[in-house]
Amino acid sequence: MSNNNNREVIVSVKHVDITFDAGTKKAFKAVKDANFDIYKGETFALVGESGSGKTTLGRAILRINPCSAGEITFEGKRISGKISREEDRNVVRCIQMIFQDPAASLNERATIEYCVSEGLYNFHLYKDEADRIAKVDRALQDVGLLPEHKSRYPHEFSGGQRQRVGIARAMIMEPKFIVADEPISALDVSIRAQVLNLMNKLKAEKDLTYLFIAHDLSVVRFISDRIAVIHLGEIVEIAESETLFEYPLHPYTISLLSAVPMPDPLIEKNRKHVVYDPSVLDQSGAPREMREVRPGHFVHCTEKEFAEYQAKASRMEKEKKG
Amino acid sequence: MDMENTNLFEFAEFDELESEHIAAPRYSYWKSVWRTFFKNKFTVGVAILLLIIIAFALIQPMISGYSPIITPNINNASLKFVKPCKDHIFGTDHVGNEVFDAVWAGARNSIIISFICTAINMLVGIPIGALWGFSKKMDRWMIEVYNVISNVPFLLLAMILSYVLGAGMRSLIITMTCTEWIFVAYFIRTQVMIIRDREYNLASKCLGTGTWTMILKNILPYLISVIMTYVSREVPSLISYEVFLSYMGLGLGTTNASLGQSIAMYTSYMNGYPHLFWIPVSVLAIISISLYIVGQKLADAADPRTHM
Amino acid sequence: MAENRNVVLSAKDIEVKFRVRDNYLTAIRGVSLDLYEGETFAIVGESGSGKSVFTKTFTGMLESNGTISNGSVMFHGKDLTKLKTDKDWEGIRGAKISTIFQDPMTSLNPIRTIGSQITEVIEKHQGISKAEAKKQAIEMMERVGIVNAANRFDEYPFQYSGGMRQRIVIAIALACHPEILICDEPTTALDVTIQAQILQLIRDLQKELGFTTLYITHDLGVVANVADRVGVMYGGQIIEFGTVEEIFFESCHPYTWALLSSLPQLGIKGQDLYYITGTPPSLYNKIKGDAFAPRNEHALKIDFEQEPPFFKVSDTHYAKTWLLDPRAPRLERPEVIQDLHAKIKKMTDKGGAFHVE
Repeated sequence: MSNNNNREVIVSVKHVDITFDAGTKKAFKAVKDANFDIYKGETFALVGESGSGKTTLGRAILRINPCSAGEITFEGKRISGKISREEDRNVVRCIQMIFQDPAASLNERATIEYCVSEGLYNFHLYKDEADRIAKVDRALQDVGLLPEHKSRYPHEFSGGQRQRVGIARAMIMEPKFIVADEPISALDVSIRAQVLNLMNKLKAEKDLTYLFIAHDLSVVRFISDRIAVIHLGEIVEIAESETLFEYPLHPYTISLLSAVPMPDPLIEKNRKHVVYDPSVLDQSGAPREMREVRPGHFVHCTEKEFAEYQAKASRMEKEKKG
Repeated sequence: MDMENTNLFEFAEFDELESEHIAAPRYSYWKSVWRTFFKNKFTVGVAILLLIIIAFALIQPMISGYSPIITPNINNASLKFVKPCKDHIFGTDHVGNEVFDAVWAGARNSIIISFICTAINMLVGIPIGALWGFSKKMDRWMIEVYNVISNVPFLLLAMILSYVLGAGMRSLIITMTCTEWIFVAYFIRTQVMIIRDREYNLASKCLGTGTWTMILKNILPYLISVIMTYVSREVPSLISYEVFLSYMGLGLGTTNASLGQSIAMYTSYMNGYPHLFWIPVSVLAIISISLYIVGQKLADAADPRTHM
Repeated sequence: MAENRNVVLSAKDIEVKFRVRDNYLTAIRGVSLDLYEGETFAIVGESGSGKSVFTKTFTGMLESNGTISNGSVMFHGKDLTKLKTDKDWEGIRGAKISTIFQDPMTSLNPIRTIGSQITEVIEKHQGISKAEAKKQAIEMMERVGIVNAANRFDEYPFQYSGGMRQRIVIAIALACHPEILICDEPTTALDVTIQAQILQLIRDLQKELGFTTLYITHDLGVVANVADRVGVMYGGQIIEFGTVEEIFFESCHPYTWALLSSLPQLGIKGQDLYYITGTPPSLYNKIKGDAFAPRNEHALKIDFEQEPPFFKVSDTHYAKTWLLDPRAPRLERPEVIQDLHAKIKKMTDKGGAFHVE
């Protein structure tokens, strides 16, 4: 697994900066030098707190936010900046999004049938009316809803059902890549699990790749193959999911990990919460970049920290074996 | 409590999909609009009154054949300035014509003109306004056009047009539409801008939906209620425009009946025969107010928040 | 542990109805609760379960279309449900019983300085001089962890971060040394790393000042972190309550099981998470039997017929489910939550996924 070299890259984010209000006094760099590949068939998680730039970066892949430096490629072709209309249509079809708030992201004045058919209409992905209805029915059934729901309006549904409508509407496009922006954080706890299961099921059935944006490491551990931790616009650590949990190296990752609440009063009451303190980082001003500490495990660090992280990782590994 | 019945303590059958059904009756937007509208007795009363007035205004003039230039009784002094009575419901005027006929013929023209003008203003203003609100590029130059047009004095424009095109229905309609549409467009633009950036529009964009489909499916359905509010003010206000222009002599001209015409004509008899003035004014007021009330109530009913 | 302690607040058979257009919605369907002095009680439930509405009856902050149609809330020998006007509530709301809300900005005035908002509360309830109030306010700000409090006294809410604002809200809530602090989802709007700090802060202050805390939350992680006792709410009722250990390790109600089982922390990669089907009941309709029955895969036939009473599990632990009736079939707790403590211990001990050093 750790040998990623011969895996097919589906989305590549290359040294991307995203600046809002560029060229004005208010100019604000929301994402700094983001650099990573997402492999075909994996769930890649982008984890960070509010204001970390995770949504901004996700939307850049969807061509909603422009990049101010660097480029993004999809299946080897550049999709950031100016591209032809034809390519743009292709990107729209192949990259879909699942939104955080299902109440806000569905058109309240349209029936579920229209909401789910919207993409089909835009790309004429159906032979005739009967074919379109059949596709809508199948998409609804895929997400555990009933064909009879077609004539209903979004406000008649519960939050979980609405989110599944949002998933059906994305899936009907037969996308290759899905950006899921905190798809469960607006949902009630009891239905979060259902949506996560559904996403896993659809991924396996339809050969999808996910970019899963989240603020919560506990969810991410369950669903993702690799995780990138982003803090204030900078990616600080990327690793395979298990590796990140076993050998968290960057102090910010450790702080996030320690903040995951555990459902056990005996343990949770005595748990140590590590507060992230940037002053523990190397303050020498040496250049800081993503360095590969262990195979496939990258940490944003200076040369000096790199050595420390390497030492720490191998010590932890030894402890684990011994 | 029937504690003997221990069968009750067996597991019930469980069907996962069962809980997905929606028990509430099917929701339909327009049905809910009408249901909400008809729930209020007062509104229904006003709506019926309005319908009767409109129907009467359309039919009565056909029977009476009233025209301000046909004055068969002009030389019969006993038929002039008759106060309202059994034989002359609204009385007669200075040329011996029935005020009743004059008022309905006038109402007919005023209503037709205001409806036509409202329709034109809406049909032009709404699509342009929707596009205007949607496109940031268009907004930049449209706002300049708006600034210029909205600063042209209406009365000046009406005078010029009435001299160039002559009096009559056609020129009056042109006068009341040639600049008015941009106010509709501006109103719609502002409304569109409020909902343009909501997340469901971003979702549509991600699905590749084009601008016009977005306007038609995502934006306008949300504006039904505010558009109705606007129309419910626009129709009566255009009636008053018509009255005002006719009163100023810039309207339909003396050969056509209109409420404005009648009011202008009868003002001079205000002192001796006040009914001549007050009857058309009251009819005008009743039409305007009932149009406004019905429009407002329809707008309220069109707001889904009232559909609970 | 609770029987020999003083009850500070006692709610009995509370029923709350809301008038929504021509309909009545019964948001709270007969809830009783005794709060013991100095404890932390957590009410956990989904949105629409009525957890917020229930606690709003303690401070008279129900929305104007809501009425308490039955029951009493006894506090210092006074029935709070009888209080009507703001004047009646003076000296209780904001003074003896304070509330912290989810979004700090709803409690702060954006155009007034932080300092003036804290001093105002102190002056109003303690009737002391301005200078003295300011001194106390700065002390309070320091206590809730505002570094350099004297200098930040004259700043405005927008100059504070979300976590700092919530600290200020806590300072205001505690300015009058209340006996009861109601925390309504105090950390939901905050980032996870800030959440841990705020919970810790409230706990430290509670130890120091000795007030009673009532948490309202949907997050079982928060419950585990803070609570001494827990009440689980569903469909406008408390359906199970007990000490925090009893609820996490010995729960009896299928809804509590379902809530615990569906936590992603317990998920095993490659396997499906446990989940609850369907949606919470509509409180517009009269609920027959157990409100959770239609979503409960372990529902008994009687659950659809009769509302279960509370069955006693231990002196401190009660659950409202027919499964505890002697006539009901035996049913084991779901696998995922058996040996919960051992499982979580493994996760957080050295070598576990959530172990940090």
